[in-house]
Amino acid sequence: MTDMKTLVTIDRRVTLKWLMGALAVGQLAACGDGAKGLSWAELEAIKATGVGKDPDLINPSVPWPLTLTAAELEIATDLVDLILPAEGDNPAPSKVGVPAFINEWVSAPYPDQHKDRVLIVNGLAWLDEESKVRNGVPFIRAEASAQKLILDDIAFKDKVKAGLEKPAEFFGRARSLTLGAYYTTREGWADIGYIGNQPGTGDYPGPTPEAAAHIKGIIEAMGLKYTPA
Amino acid sequence: MTPDDPHDAVVVGSGAGGAMAAWMLAKAGASVLMLEAGRNYSPDESPMLNMAMDAPLRGVGTPDKEFGFYDATVDGGWNMPGEPYTMAEGSEFMWWRSRMLGGRTNHWARNSFRMGEYDFKPKTRDGLGEDWPVTYEDMAPWYDRTEKLVGVYGSNDGLENHPNSGPGVLQPPPKFRVWETFLKAGGDALNIPVVAARRAILTKKIDERSPCYWASACGRGCSIGAAFQTTTSFIPWAQATGKLTIATGAMVYEVLLDANGKATGVRYIDKATGAHKEAKGRVVVLAASTGETARILLNSQVAGRSEGLANSSGQVGRNLMDTVGSSVSAYFPQLEGRPRYNEDGAMGLHAYIPFWDYKRIQSGEVDTPRGYHVEIGGSFGDPGMGVGGGLDGYGSSLRADVKRRYGSRIGFTQRGEMIPNANSFCSIDTNTKDRFGIPVLKFNFAWSDHELKQVTHFQKSMKELIDKLGGTLVSEPLDPSKAISKGGEIIHEVGTARMGADARSSVTNQFGKTWDVDNLYITDGSVFASKAHKNPTITIMALAMRSSDNIVTRLRTGEL
Ligand SMILES: Cc1cc2nc3c(=O)[nH]c(=O)nc-3n(C[C@H](O)[C@H](O)[C@H](O)COP(=O)(O)OP(=O)(O)OC[C@H]3O[C@@H](n4cnc5c(N)ncnc54)[C@H](O)[C@@H]3O)c2cc1C
Ligand code: SF4
Repeated sequence: MTDMKTLVTIDRRVTLKWLMGALAVGQLAACGDGAKGLSWAELEAIKATGVGKDPDLINPSVPWPLTLTAAELEIATDLVDLILPAEGDNPAPSKVGVPAFINEWVSAPYPDQHKDRVLIVNGLAWLDEESKVRNGVPFIRAEASAQKLILDDIAFKDKVKAGLEKPAEFFGRARSLTLGAYYTTREGWADIGYIGNQPGTGDYPGPTPEAAAHIKGIIEAMGLKYTPA
Repeated sequence: MTPDDPHDAVVVGSGAGGAMAAWMLAKAGASVLMLEAGRNYSPDESPMLNMAMDAPLRGVGTPDKEFGFYDATVDGGWNMPGEPYTMAEGSEFMWWRSRMLGGRTNHWARNSFRMGEYDFKPKTRDGLGEDWPVTYEDMAPWYDRTEKLVGVYGSNDGLENHPNSGPGVLQPPPKFRVWETFLKAGGDALNIPVVAARRAILTKKIDERSPCYWASACGRGCSIGAAFQTTTSFIPWAQATGKLTIATGAMVYEVLLDANGKATGVRYIDKATGAHKEAKGRVVVLAASTGETARILLNSQVAGRSEGLANSSGQVGRNLMDTVGSSVSAYFPQLEGRPRYNEDGAMGLHAYIPFWDYKRIQSGEVDTPRGYHVEIGGSFGDPGMGVGGGLDGYGSSLRADVKRRYGSRIGFTQRGEMIPNANSFCSIDTNTKDRFGIPVLKFNFAWSDHELKQVTHFQKSMKELIDKLGGTLVSEPLDPSKAISKGGEIIHEVGTARMGADARSSVTNQFGKTWDVDNLYITDGSVFASKAHKNPTITIMALAMRSSDNIVTRLRTGEL
């Protein structure tokens, strides 16, 4: 295991190396972020056509080409599965199409998605660089435990390692996209317990007896009156 | 008949106001030509049970489809390519439009609160704004007829300024969900009412329309006819009389007058060919929506006058109002991990908070003159792309956090009354034309202190309610000047051709008939004299019904 002192040195090296790589890739945004002044490469906006103002709503299609490379998708796959590992009957995000969704998202010709693309594309490259420096191998070749050590520095908002604010921002977006994509699938619905989108006949049944009893208990424990309507 | 034939009535617009008028007139035997700028549309196009997962980007809003991929809006939104509007320096105004048969009734939220007696006589009560030329008593039977026809669920709670409907008018409301009952417990303790909401949604079958089947967001359009929209009701009913001719893709820009100043019809651009055409009728009914109706009047040329048509009062374009909007939301630990069940229900409000503090306004203890209501949301819904908001970390603890937090956040949205002011109006921007060559609207908009104080009242009251229920605000409320919506953002814009007691101070009489042109009527939201906190559409329809009844009488007697 590397001691604290070496880690710090290595980190500075990573930063420098990353900066050089980014410079080589293209124009570097001049604005700094935070004390370390690290900036990520701006990417050219995607110019594909969007869905337009009157798309076929019943048979939707994604009109824009996907842009992530195979290598980027591999990193994304490992990342999303670290964010929300499989558990019991609940599959890992990569098993329900989350990496492909992230590709669709960052390839979309819209301003919000463009911002995410800059974060995600740079962030995936950062993970790889960071892993090479820390572990001597690209991110996807690193042991899960080593991958997690990297995430531990960027995944917790009160414990972001100094200088890693930008990677932390990237991670926040990656987490948000992963959760959104995952919990909108049937598998995600099963995990979170969403049981709607089911047309029914007759009156709306309202809370189940169990749900009603539960809220009654809560309301009464607060000294309030339970009057269902 | 074809659009080239003269009709008894030419109706411009097919939304709430236009379609009500078309149906009332056709039902009475008049031949009606409806001119609609948008394309033909039926909610058979609605993706009723599609999942977010089937849509690009999980259905999130984009500049193309701002309210999400599945929103029914066709060729519209905050920005319409080739159909701009402008804003005066220092003013911000948002104008949501659609270009489709049925207009914005295809995707409105269907919240339908009738105005009360205070709402029709606000100036008499507090000296501000304007009174309507009608009283609540005048309107009550028209509300009853409209609600019965449209199908509105709700309950009669006998609350101050929230009138009951007539016997047998309302449809039964759906049961409260767990979080609504929870809010009601807090509200009861603080004397803040939490009662059944009123929405234009069927819970029982009437005519060929099915009751709500408790799934599929109403903003997608409702192909089973449960959520009211004119494309499953007024328009097909009017067509069934054999008296309605519809021309879609017909962009009206001018009312035609004869030498005596009577309207003879309108001029429009047939979008398919670009041809300029005329449509003729004995009576002209404008219902192109609040902004657009004012635009048509202001763009109409009247010999010897510069102020446009029906504008001898100078009030066309004036008194532009929108609803006051702001919101707060909170997490309630007590709701964490609650037992799951299907909370889709009617995919919108089952309960809401009507304004309750009239007495303290009257006594001067409350410093904002007008009220608001609160629309609330907190169901177990399709988690959507926002499900990760506020979460931290990764791994199995993250999975547990997602599940724990699901269904424990409640959003509170203020919908409040705006008092008309001299700084809020629209006019023609003579320097800018749309892709058809028609001069566009320019908006001026400003809130006054009254509205900002109302936001403060809302923020304080909701904080009390949230505290009572042990919740924590997701974020501290902003200063009212920052928390308040932009003009137009709530999409309740009304008032640019207000009705009133006399020709000097208003554009139309109490039947939407313009003072200046005897056979020119307006049946959309532009005739509003005030903007009560109640969402406007049910009132637009009740007024349109009453005005159409007046037209029918006058057609019958040969006055028109
Ligand atoms: C997302 C959303 C939610 C809403 N929720 C609610 C709610 O819960 N409760 C409520 O009361 N209100 C709600 N509203 C507002 C409601 O939709 C409007 O108040 C209502 O539709 C106004 O009716 P209208 O007839 O004036 O205009 P519209 O419904 O907009 O109809 C006007 C029609 O005229 C056509 N038109 C425009 N210009 C021309 C022209 N020059 N020539 C020919 N045709 C023209 C348009 O294409 C349109 O079809 C909501 C609106 C939106 C967008
Ligand atoms: S919730 Fe009910 S009313 Fe709304 S779209 Fe679905 S079926 Fe129609």
